[in-house]
This record gives sequence, C-alpha cells and structure tokens, in this order.
Amino acid sequence: MSVPQPAPVRPEDLGEDGYAWRRMHPVTPLLKGWKTVAAILIIVSTQLTDDIRRSAHLLGGRGWLLALGGFGVIAVLAVAWAFVSWRVTRYAVTDEAVHLRQGIVFRQQRQARLDRLQAIDVVQPLLARFVGLSELRLEVAGGSGSRVSLAFLRESEADALRAELLALAAGLHRPGGAAARAANGPSAGLGGAPSMTGPGVTGARAPEGGGFGSPAGPGATAWSPAALPAGVPASGGSPATVPASAASPAGFPASGASVAGAAADVASPTASDAAFASTSGAAVAPSAGQVPTYTGATTAPATVGRRGVVTGSAFAPAPENLVYELPMPRLLGSIVRSGGSVWFVLFIVAIVVMIGFGAPFEAIYSLVPMAFALVSFFWQRINGAATFRAATSPDGIRLRHGLTETRSQTLPPGRVQAVRLHQPLLWRGKDWWRVEVNVAGYAGDRDKQGTETVLHPVATRDEALLALWLVLPDLGADDPRAAVQAGLVGTGDDGGYTAAPRRSRWVDPVGWRRHGVLVTRRALLLRSGRFWRRLDVVPHERTQSLALEQGPLQRQLDVASLAVHSTHGPVSPRIEHLDTAVAVALLQEQAERARHARREAVPEQWMRAQ
Amino acid sequence: MAPADPFTLDLTWTQVSPRLAAARLTVAAFWLVPLLVGAVLPPLLSGIAWLWVLPAVVVLLMVWLLWLVPRQVGALRYAERDDDLLIRRGIMFRSLVVVPYGRMQFVDVKAGPIDRAMGIARVQLHTASTSSDAWIAGLPPAEAARLRERLASRGEARLAGL
Repeated sequence: MSVPQPAPVRPEDLGEDGYAWRRMHPVTPLLKGWKTVAAILIIVSTQLTDDIRRSAHLLGGRGWLLALGGFGVIAVLAVAWAFVSWRVTRYAVTDEAVHLRQGIVFRQQRQARLDRLQAIDVVQPLLARFVGLSELRLEVAGGSGSRVSLAFLRESEADALRAELLALAAGLHRPGGAAARAANGPSAGLGGAPSMTGPGVTGARAPEGGGFGSPAGPGATAWSPAALPAGVPASGGSPATVPASAASPAGFPASGASVAGAAADVASPTASDAAFASTSGAAVAPSAGQVPTYTGATTAPATVGRRGVVTGSAFAPAPENLVYELPMPRLLGSIVRSGGSVWFVLFIVAIVVMIGFGAPFEAIYSLVPMAFALVSFFWQRINGAATFRAATSPDGIRLRHGLTETRSQTLPPGRVQAVRLHQPLLWRGKDWWRVEVNVAGYAGDRDKQGTETVLHPVATRDEALLALWLVLPDLGADDPRAAVQAGLVGTGDDGGYTAAPRRSRWVDPVGWRRHGVLVTRRALLLRSGRFWRRLDVVPHERTQSLALEQGPLQRQLDVASLAVHSTHGPVSPRIEHLDTAVAVALLQEQAERARHARREAVPEQWMRAQ
Repeated sequence: MAPADPFTLDLTWTQVSPRLAAARLTVAAFWLVPLLVGAVLPPLLSGIAWLWVLPAVVVLLMVWLLWLVPRQVGALRYAERDDDLLIRRGIMFRSLVVVPYGRMQFVDVKAGPIDRAMGIARVQLHTASTSSDAWIAGLPPAEAARLRERLASRGEARLAGL
C-alpha cells in the first residue's frame, strides 16, 4: 500500500485551500504596463534626446532604429513584468476578510478584515474606462499603504464585489461560506446579481436611520433640511414631509428588477428594520409604498429577517437615492473665485507689464512653468470635482466624481470621524461651502488633490446642511438647522454657542467673536474663522483624545484652547481662547460624553441585529 | 498663594523621575560641551577680547538649561483615572492631554542608551489620531512596565473601534 507523498507546502498556500482564489482581469498587465512605458518614453524624450541624437549621428542612419528597438525591448519587458505580476496576484473573499496575494520577488499576502472596513472605492482611470475595467479599493484604518487594491476587475464584477463586500461587512451572511463562494465566482455574481437581493431591500434604512445607532432625540424630526429631494427616504429626518409612496419608485431604481427575479431569495431584515426604526425616534419608512415591492420580504420569516441571512447566492447592489449633485457652472464659478484665479490675474498682469516695459522674450518665457502650474491646478480642481454627486444607500453614503478618472466611493455608516464646513473668502458672496470629512481609511493614502475626503466640493448653504445631515442624521440639537446656521455665520453666543470671552480679543483681535463651541447630545460643534469661516463637527463617539493648551499670553488672559483629536484627514478640530474654567469643564464633560457615546455607538457591522 | 491651577482637575498627579532631567542634561552636554570648547578657542588663540562673548553665550545657554530642564521635568505629570489617562506638561506653554483607554491602539515603551544608564523609560500612547501627542518620559522601568500592562488590560476591557 502506498502512502501518498504529501505535496510540498508553499507558505502562501497554508490554510487557504478553502478559499476560492481569483485573478484580476487579464487586460490588467497592459493597463499597468503602459504606465511604465509612458514613463520611460517621457524620460527618454526629455532627458536623453541630445544623447540619442549624438549617438544616432555616430551610428549613422540606423541609429534611430536602434533607439526604437531598445525602447521596444523595454516596453516588452515592462509588459512582461506586469504580466508575471498579474499571474501571481490573486484575491479571495471570505465571510470575514478579503485576502490579496501579490509580489513576484517579495511575496506578500494581505488580509483585510471586513468588519474593519472603512470605505470602498471603485476607481476608473481613463484608459481602464475605455475597456470597461475598474479598480476596487478597500480602505482599512491601517495608516499609509494599508489599502487593499484589486486592479483591475471588470466593471460589473467590481460593482458586484463591492455590493457583496459591503453586505458582508455590514454583518449579513452568505449561506455556505467559502463553498458557496466558489460557485459564486465573478461570472455567477454577474449574471446572478439582478435576480438577487441583499441589504438593499432595507432601502428605507439608509444611513440616516442607522447612522449612529443610538436613540435619537426629539430633534431628529426637525433636522431634515428644506432642500431635501423628494426621492430621499428620510428615515431619521422628516418622514412626514416625504410621501412614502414617492420615496419608493423614484428612490430605488434597482429594487423592481431585483425582486421580480427571485422573490423567494429575498429575506429582508424587516424585523431588525422595525427595531431600528423604533430606536431612531422618528417614524421610519418601511413604508406602505415600499413593502409591496418586496413581496418576498413580507413573507420571509421574521427570524430570518433579523439575522439578515440572505438565501440567495449573491448580493445585489443596494439601491441608491440621489441627494445632491454639483452643477458644472457652479464648479467653474467656484474655481473662478479661488486663490488660483487670483494668481492667474497676477500672472496676466505680470505678462502685460513685462511686455509693456519691453522685457526680453526670455524673461517672459521664464513664466511658462508658472503657467503650467496654474493650468494643472485648474485642471485638477475641475477633474476631481466634476460630475460630483452624492447618494444614500443602505450601505452608506455613495459619492461619485471625476471627469477623466472617475471614482465611486462608499462610506458605510459611522465611518465619518469628523466633518468640516468651510468657506474660502471669495465664496462668501455666493454663500458657498466646502464640506470635508475625516475617514480613517483615507489616512495617509490621500491623493494629491485630496478629493477622497470631500463630501461636497461646492455646496450652497442648504446643500451643506444636507451633506452634514448625510453623515450625522441626528445632530442631537433641538433645532439642528439653527445650530448649524449659527455655527456657519453666527458670532458671539448666537444659537446657544459658548463663545470666547471678550478679553480674548487681545490675542485674536479679528476672529475672537467667531470662536465658539456648542455641545449637542450627539456631537461637538466648533466654530471659528472671521474671513475664512469654518465649522467643525465631531460626533462624541468619534473623539480619539482631547487636549487642553495654554500659552503664556492666554494664561494672562485666563483663556485656553481645546483640541479634539480626530483621525488623520483635513479636519483637525480645535477651539481657541475659551475661558479657562469653561475649557476645563468642557474637557471633563467631553471625555465623559465620548465614553458614554462610544458605549452606544453603532456596531462596526452596521446591519447585524444586536 | 496663587489660586488653584485649573489644569490639575483636582486629581492626584504622579511626577516622573527627576533622573529624566539628568538624562536630558546629559544629552544637552553632548553637544554643548564641544560647542563651548569650540567657542573658547577663537578668543584664546587670537587674543581678541570681545570674542569672549561667544563662550559667554554658550555658558548662559547652559545655565539656562540647568535651570529650565529640571523645571520642565517637574511639570511633567500624569494621572490615571478609571477610564482615561491624563498627561500634563509645560510651564510656559502648558498642555493637558486626556487619552481614553478604549481609544488606545498600541503602546510603545522605549529606552535609549542614556535612558537605560539612568534607569528610566519612555511610554508612548498611540490612538487612531496622529495628533494625540501622548507620551510620558522618565518612568522607572518597573513603573513603565506596570503602566504598559495596565494600559493594555484597560484598553482591552474598554475596547472600542475607531
């Protein structure tokens, strides 16, 4: 009898036999390789032109052919390298984590826990867009370089995978675990997607209701801004103002198709939905308008619903509801009113003056780099924010933007650490605001323009309120609108803010009236900036640590500054020159409040019934 | 007597070891003494009287540090509460940091060669925020280990996500 010889065990295979490893799309090496080729081409053309010309001269007429051949070899090598790296790059999805294996020389296997998922981005660079591919980026809060990037997948595959990952991260289960996974590969997921339905069924429970989980105060009903589009099912907001029937058809384009296909597969977490609704204070909308759409949901046993077990084999993309869009004219207007255009005007003036004084051509020519910088600045601003739109879905907030490279971000509920509404000086006349957020996953990996952390590039006042409402559906104030309005434009103790005392004008003669802080049941609002107005909002449960600071002058005036530490990002909340006693009390209370709020915070898996 | 310092929050604060001052002064001496030698040489060699200003400045700096560093070290204190750790430091520019145990991501204990010779260590607390600047230097190794253990166990008990 022969004992089968055990196959040599490679370290990267250990304990992963059950995983269904998948490859990226085969076109990936070409898409990745061309960048190397282009980089080489640029370096060669800019740096080595003279050398090539000289050597071509030496070699005679065939020199060019030689250069071309050399370049061809490099290009082939680059693509070959990309191909080998594609061969070894594989990923697998389990119920708990995403695994990514890559590296030719240095093997790397990365495992990202889904319950630590901070955001999922689908990014499409221009070239990938032409061939219908996209990159899926999973952001986990591990600092710089911690993201898991799956590039490139077929567009539909990426979307299906995103829906699946979000559902798993939300705490919904896939029956059969890894085994089902195998049958449920990219193509199956694709074909099956329309017929399945997943977390999306609970459309009414958009991030608003589930946003921060704990009981909402009576203020919740007053918060929904007037500009709320009719299609938004405002569960935490003002269901009274939105007819339930209107919410359903306009709001959930995907729902009809998904349910028609496989009603039996539907297991809506109706029960948990209702439970959730009751905690959020406002009457939530598993409304009459929607229930008939989900015939399966109504017949599904409540126990199944509560667990959120989806009996289908894939998760359909969650339905989305558009909340706001950025019109192009406003984006252009905002760029005209930016610091860049001030430079542009100076630049034109400089040229006119130089020509007027008969400056030599070389002097004017020296301004060319600056012109390039300006053009690229404007281009980046337009490219990053163009076609910006935000939507709600049960998975969280959906942001889409980009002109050449499009990006579709999903921020699950409770992942926003802090919000900043701020107004550059020149936007004042138009009353435009820029809304930015801290998300732990984007820490360190922020791209140059920082477009990932923008919640609204150019918002009107109402849209700014709406954007804030998206991430913080329950502000915890009795009159949230007034509280935010006072934070945006108010001074002194408008809107119940605790302002910096008058004596602080000695250390800040211009802005002292604007320094103010408001504590609500759910968040801390920090107001500042006389000309560059700013309002920072930090949910209590997102406070990392707190610091009280006092310089010698502040000490003489008996004032102190309070810093609220948030994760890395554009928002660094800080309030200057509060009365020392007030600041100390605030520090103490805030530490207590943060501790309290954390206990009640929404779980990491935001759809798992507790 | 001056009114009670509001930064104390009516807590009992633990001071760090005065050996931290010795350690810091030793580090300062490493570059100040060669600097002093370098500053003494020009007037000594050239005999120009006003050049003695240079070593005088260095000596003043040394005296100032001798006065300042022990005071700074004296101002570095910490207090443990049930749910958070508080760190206080600075005399001119004072700060008070509150770090909840549940927010702690990891804790570093570090000791360089001079620290080890002096028998002190430095404990640094890391939260998910890069701006939480929470460290305590000058802890005796046993106390550093105790604190680390306590922070780790407390952090686990009060663990929260991000």
